[in-house]
Amino acid sequence: MSDPAITGLLVVALLLLLGSGVWIGLALAGVAWIGMELFSSRPAGDAMAVTIWGSASSWTLTALPLFVWMGEILFRTRLSEDMFKGLAPWLERVPGRLLHTNIIGCTIFAAVSGSSAATCATIGKMTLPELKRRGYPEGMTIGTLAGAGTLGLLIPPSIIMIVYGVSADVSIAQLFIAGVVPGLMLALLFSGYIVVWALANPGKIPEITHRTTLAQKLAAARHLIPVVLLIATVLGSIYAGVATATEAAAFGVLGSLAISGWQGSLTWASFRDSLLGGTRLYCMIALILAGAAFLTLSMGYIGLPRHLAEWIGSLELSPFALIVALAVFYIVLGCFLDGISMVVLTMGVILPTVQAAGIDLLWFGIFIVLVVEMAQITPPVGFNLFVLQGMTRHEITYIARHTLPMFLLMIVAVLMIWFFPQLITWLPQQMKLG
Amino acid sequence: MRRALDRLYDAAAALAAVFLIGVLAMVVTGVAGRLLNFHVPGTDSYAGYCMAAAGFLALAHTLKRGEHIRVSLILERLGAGAQRGLELWSLAAATLLAALFAFYSVRLAVQSWQFNDVSTGNDATPLWIPQLAMAAGTVVLLIAFVDELVLEWRGKRRRVAPAEALHNE
Repeated sequence: MSDPAITGLLVVALLLLLGSGVWIGLALAGVAWIGMELFSSRPAGDAMAVTIWGSASSWTLTALPLFVWMGEILFRTRLSEDMFKGLAPWLERVPGRLLHTNIIGCTIFAAVSGSSAATCATIGKMTLPELKRRGYPEGMTIGTLAGAGTLGLLIPPSIIMIVYGVSADVSIAQLFIAGVVPGLMLALLFSGYIVVWALANPGKIPEITHRTTLAQKLAAARHLIPVVLLIATVLGSIYAGVATATEAAAFGVLGSLAISGWQGSLTWASFRDSLLGGTRLYCMIALILAGAAFLTLSMGYIGLPRHLAEWIGSLELSPFALIVALAVFYIVLGCFLDGISMVVLTMGVILPTVQAAGIDLLWFGIFIVLVVEMAQITPPVGFNLFVLQGMTRHEITYIARHTLPMFLLMIVAVLMIWFFPQLITWLPQQMKLG
Repeated sequence: MRRALDRLYDAAAALAAVFLIGVLAMVVTGVAGRLLNFHVPGTDSYAGYCMAAAGFLALAHTLKRGEHIRVSLILERLGAGAQRGLELWSLAAATLLAALFAFYSVRLAVQSWQFNDVSTGNDATPLWIPQLAMAAGTVVLLIAFVDELVLEWRGKRRRVAPAEALHNE
């Protein structure tokens, strides 16, 4: 059978399985099975078991369940409440005032959380009711929160970066550090947008009810100490090269438990809930990873990635055109699939093409994360939209409409990392090798 | 029967949770060993085995809680009859795949045992021991899928929406 026919058949099989609601991890394994049985001579079953075992028990992946668990612990603490208290007094004079708590809150929380939806939910739990009570325009509150929540992916730690690092064989520690500058840049873009919007729409932002003195501001800032210490522990240890990503994750879990205990929110029930919640969440990701590991093996046997790379190479696209094409591809894919599935589904096939085009895999990792962020806020399938739909009871279209400006700002961010790749590569180069 | 099945899923999940703590314990032991100059060989590999066990053993419980993700775009837009038909199809397909997954996972553990496969890392663990978790977890997942399929067929399956929004990414 010819290559396009094989590809076509497998893509159709994948669409049928996914579209009919077969669980994603199993659907990937199913397509891999079909590919392997039909187009290679190796027995599919044993290869499947060995591959899945190898990927499921690999040391590099152990950072993932730990960061997932850490996020679940922090979600059950009063951290977001404390952050709001600590941040709010400082924002009185900035145009847009408390709307910035969404951005800064998400930025800070992103530095201890690996997930965009968790960031969105944790910060939103506090800012949505508070800002509504004070009369801030709801559309703006929701839009900026949905956008800033995606920083959970770009600012380390990041679950999707671990997944990418493992599938592309790129250092997870380097990816983490590479995400810092683009993450802060994106946060600045969001905040800048709020400032511009507030200046253009005077009167839409409620008046200040009372002013705080500098002493009061400083006193309020003490609420930020625990989270800052936690960030310093997790990211600092990676940056200084004293800990691997996995070890930093273990420190993070212990630190989160300590914060939770110190706040008095660590009970047997909350510990059990976070542990079981983390286990289930990890398990859900693990099933997708298992299916994807087998799919990657199967694709490799058929030789699809190599042929695709040759075919795209023959088109003689410029790297920029390739990146634009990939960005569009991922954004469309992101309308139907979640980020992790997108990354693992495509990495095995696309990486050779990207390497052949001479694109740095570290840079590409950050690019992928940014594009996946956009997918988080594109309907009909966007996890941040789902989270906010659950929290605000608004229609998903309403939420998506107010999030659109953030989506456009992310496109700006993608262009910026293309034209200034140093935004990504500079900080990891300063890092001590761990 | 119902109670026994639910107990089985929950017990496997509880064991999975213990293994997640195991991942943490292994990593912490490794770091402590480095700092305090004692050496426990193979903590890296053990962390990996614990992670695998945590993932596989929780599969069924996670399925029952409705937290394994799937594309539900089409399912949600269908009428009751068509929806049931499609659910039956996707459950049947998933059951078949879970059966393959379980069969070959058990076979892997059995073969590792027969051929005395030992980890190539410095832990030198006989591989069938950690692979037992994969075999057990996938078999329980198969049972859970058959359970779901039968419930759907008899019209008794409850479609569970996850208790809270997933924090997966």
